[in-house]
Amino acid sequence: MAKLDPSAQKRSGHTANYWLGGITVSFFSLTIFFAINSKPYVAAQLEIPLVDKKFLDTSPWRQTYADLVKAKEDLSDYDCYACHDKSKPPLIRYDTNQKIIIPKEHANIEMSHGAHERNNVCYNCHNEQNLNTLQVRDGKVVKFDNIPQLCGSCHGPTLRDWEAGAHGRTSGYWDRKLGDINRLSCANCHNPHAPDIPTREAAPGPRYLHEAPSHEPSKSHH
Amino acid sequence: MIYFIRNYVTFLLRCARIAFIGDWRYYAWMGALTIICLLGLNAYAKQLVHGLITTGMSDEVSWGVYIANFTFLVGVAAAAVMMVIPVYIYGNEELHDLVIFGELLAVAAIIMCLAFVTVDLGRPDRFWHLIPGIGQMNFPQSMLSWDVLVLNGYLLLNIHICGYLLYCRYQNKKTTKWFYIPFVFLAIAWAVSIHTVTAFLYVGLGGRPFWNASIVGPRFLASAFTAGPAIIIIALQVIRNFTTYRIKDKALLTLRSIVQVSMIINVFLLACEVFKEFYSGTAHSASAKYLFFGLHGHYALVPWIWTAITFNLIAMVILSLPLSRGLRWLDVACVLSIIGIWIEKGMGLVIPGFIPTPLGAVVDYRPSFNETLVCLGIWAFGFLCYTVFLRMSVPILQGRLSKNNEGQIDSEMYKLDKASIINSNFP
Amino acid sequence: MSRRSFLRGCAAFGGVSALAASLAPLRELGDYTNTEQFLQKYYKELTPSDMTKVITRIEGEVERQYGIRPHVRDLKPMDGVEFVYALNLTRCIGCRKCVHACVKENNQSRSPEIQYIRVLKMPHGSMDVEKGNHNYDSKQVPEKGFFYMPIQCQQCKNPPCVKVCPVNATWQEKDGITVIDYDWCIGCRYCEAACPYWARRFNFTKPQIPKDKINPDMSYLGNRPRKQGVMEKCHFCIQRTRVGKYPACLEACPVGARKFGNILDPNSEVSYILREKRVFIQLKEEMGTSPRFFYYFDK
Repeated sequence: MAKLDPSAQKRSGHTANYWLGGITVSFFSLTIFFAINSKPYVAAQLEIPLVDKKFLDTSPWRQTYADLVKAKEDLSDYDCYACHDKSKPPLIRYDTNQKIIIPKEHANIEMSHGAHERNNVCYNCHNEQNLNTLQVRDGKVVKFDNIPQLCGSCHGPTLRDWEAGAHGRTSGYWDRKLGDINRLSCANCHNPHAPDIPTREAAPGPRYLHEAPSHEPSKSHH
Repeated sequence: MIYFIRNYVTFLLRCARIAFIGDWRYYAWMGALTIICLLGLNAYAKQLVHGLITTGMSDEVSWGVYIANFTFLVGVAAAAVMMVIPVYIYGNEELHDLVIFGELLAVAAIIMCLAFVTVDLGRPDRFWHLIPGIGQMNFPQSMLSWDVLVLNGYLLLNIHICGYLLYCRYQNKKTTKWFYIPFVFLAIAWAVSIHTVTAFLYVGLGGRPFWNASIVGPRFLASAFTAGPAIIIIALQVIRNFTTYRIKDKALLTLRSIVQVSMIINVFLLACEVFKEFYSGTAHSASAKYLFFGLHGHYALVPWIWTAITFNLIAMVILSLPLSRGLRWLDVACVLSIIGIWIEKGMGLVIPGFIPTPLGAVVDYRPSFNETLVCLGIWAFGFLCYTVFLRMSVPILQGRLSKNNEGQIDSEMYKLDKASIINSNFP
Repeated sequence: MSRRSFLRGCAAFGGVSALAASLAPLRELGDYTNTEQFLQKYYKELTPSDMTKVITRIEGEVERQYGIRPHVRDLKPMDGVEFVYALNLTRCIGCRKCVHACVKENNQSRSPEIQYIRVLKMPHGSMDVEKGNHNYDSKQVPEKGFFYMPIQCQQCKNPPCVKVCPVNATWQEKDGITVIDYDWCIGCRYCEAACPYWARRFNFTKPQIPKDKINPDMSYLGNRPRKQGVMEKCHFCIQRTRVGKYPACLEACPVGARKFGNILDPNSEVSYILREKRVFIQLKEEMGTSPRFFYYFDK
């Protein structure tokens, strides 16, 4: 490496001084930059709306007769003989396609219990001798607040599951020593005349941590 | 005893003082590095306050560039000790001094590793929970606990070896072999272990089929022993150009052969992985599909991995040809290898392990600006450390900073500036 | 002093002041930690009087932050109890009510959103979770040709997350629940990487819970509000189940797809299900995790 003459040496020495000065200045401006810039860092987070209250609602889908009794609600709808004649069981009418004609007084009922119009006869479940009760196929009378016994007379395996707590909604205590299990009855979920559970709205899907503001729902199966 | 402490303290103070002395290029370099460090520190302060949401990580991709850089640097640290093998095992005395440069690189790399792990923690204030005895260390079940032990042990080993050798040279004393030779051999074995333990961090996770493969460990070592010596080759040339320390070409060529063989093994292992993932076509190759070809409309990593593979292949070809004996071509090959392996270890290993998630979701990861600043800050800090180490060790090894010229005043220290060295009669 | 030394000194001083200024954001750290929290011992090493102090601290913190004085208990596992969860995939309609009931019961962050349960919409005929859709937005569920599979922490018998935690911040209790000591976790997220079911969640920032949505009935290992930088996950509603109640997700499910109980009790509904039903699916069984979650189809 060539030796530097004294003047070049002095120049390189000056360069070092200039650089030191420059570095000092940059440090001080960095200090000021940090001091100014220390305001809160706001991560660009989307304002996530709280879930709609309807998705937090845990009340049963339907009220049964037993629920109404317990809540001391108006039971006049269940007084069949307010309209019907005690001596005569009501006549069931069918149209030309063997489908039940629902009388206009009971227009809220949709009959679709079982495939192939299996339950086309109201008296499969209702007791024509006493309209305030229900009946099973062997003639045994079932009260309105004892639905599982009626349903279970055909749906045996489901009844067994329900009694064990494996079918249907439960709440309360898994530890029976500390409290009771509260089993919902069949009619709390299933409409006895159209027992298929209807579809309903699902709560919104998950959000991702770094969602871009204009996030589109992923297409196809992702 | 007091005499001993006084001497040692003087030694340390002189080393510290010399770190602040240099020519204008030194000041420019250190100034720039310090500024980047401080920007990184500021970004980290923001991260501490607001949490890791300032990064691009999420529950889906919960490890990002921090752990990617950590993984790469553990490899560099392990391989930096590679220099040791020719010297101590093959008795190649010419490379003796260069061992110290390699081990100092290992120290700097481990410091960077520890920094990267610390910034990745959600609660760094609870670091003491990791200390065995005081906290709760899940040893030997948790591979992270192994990692903590081996990394810190490796750091202490290397600091001891370098510190002892440098201090002996400073005092112009002969080294006592027992004080450092056993540690050197321990460091060789330990180097392999730190990188194997880090590999096992990933391999041990059954729920991540991309990582749960036996090839990961060997691939780690092969890529580490490519990138590590490549970095040392570059570092030695920097030392050659910026100090008066003489480094023979033979050293560089010895390292070249290590890089050459390791790169060939690395590429072979890549081929093995690609075959395994794509020939059998099981569902476990979803991550590999994402990495190499994209998955379900997400292609973020595809350009990166193909760039890495291209760089690695070109580097391998250059290294295999005799033209890489020329330093310019060697440098090109080294730089290509370093970049290629950095991409492979980081974006090619850590990120695809998380995509798709164990439940099949594909969420892309992109490092945030804050995260990048922290990474750059730690890298700058590592460079800073290594520069300081070299600034201290080169004069010691050359004998210009020694007990003999203790007690000289600052203006005498001036003589250690590059400009005056040129005028001195030192060889 | 020479000019060079003076300039070096200036540069050094500038550097130190820049260093100090770079740490300026730390002024906002606030209640990140305090001495008591910093020195708090590991859960398993806390004596009952230690625990009382810790609980008082937690109750005070929650009151300061949310304005409600909660009731925090340290519930221990019951004897002779091992929990098992059975989920009837024929019944699940994918309404996601379980997800939100869990969020409400367990004081999860609303923003950013943390949800322990993830419901997958799966095509008929496959249990390959990669075919699942996490973001289904059906107006009407269930959709024909699909079934819905909610996934949460499986409380594995052989949990990979427990194996990998470097500080033992997560462990499995006697009754089968894998718990986390939120005050011990260092936030390394190794457990999140290890879980094959993606069940663990991390607090990337300070969790936000509206004050009026806080559930004040809390437990130390369960639903007390977590801090920034720690992990959390489903814990089978430990504050409910350890006093004999059902978890919140079960109670919210409108179709009764979820069944929970003590497998060591032959009269529990889960024992009944595992006896009577035929095909059970333990997710990713080949992982060797032995999950406590049994999915089954009724038909």
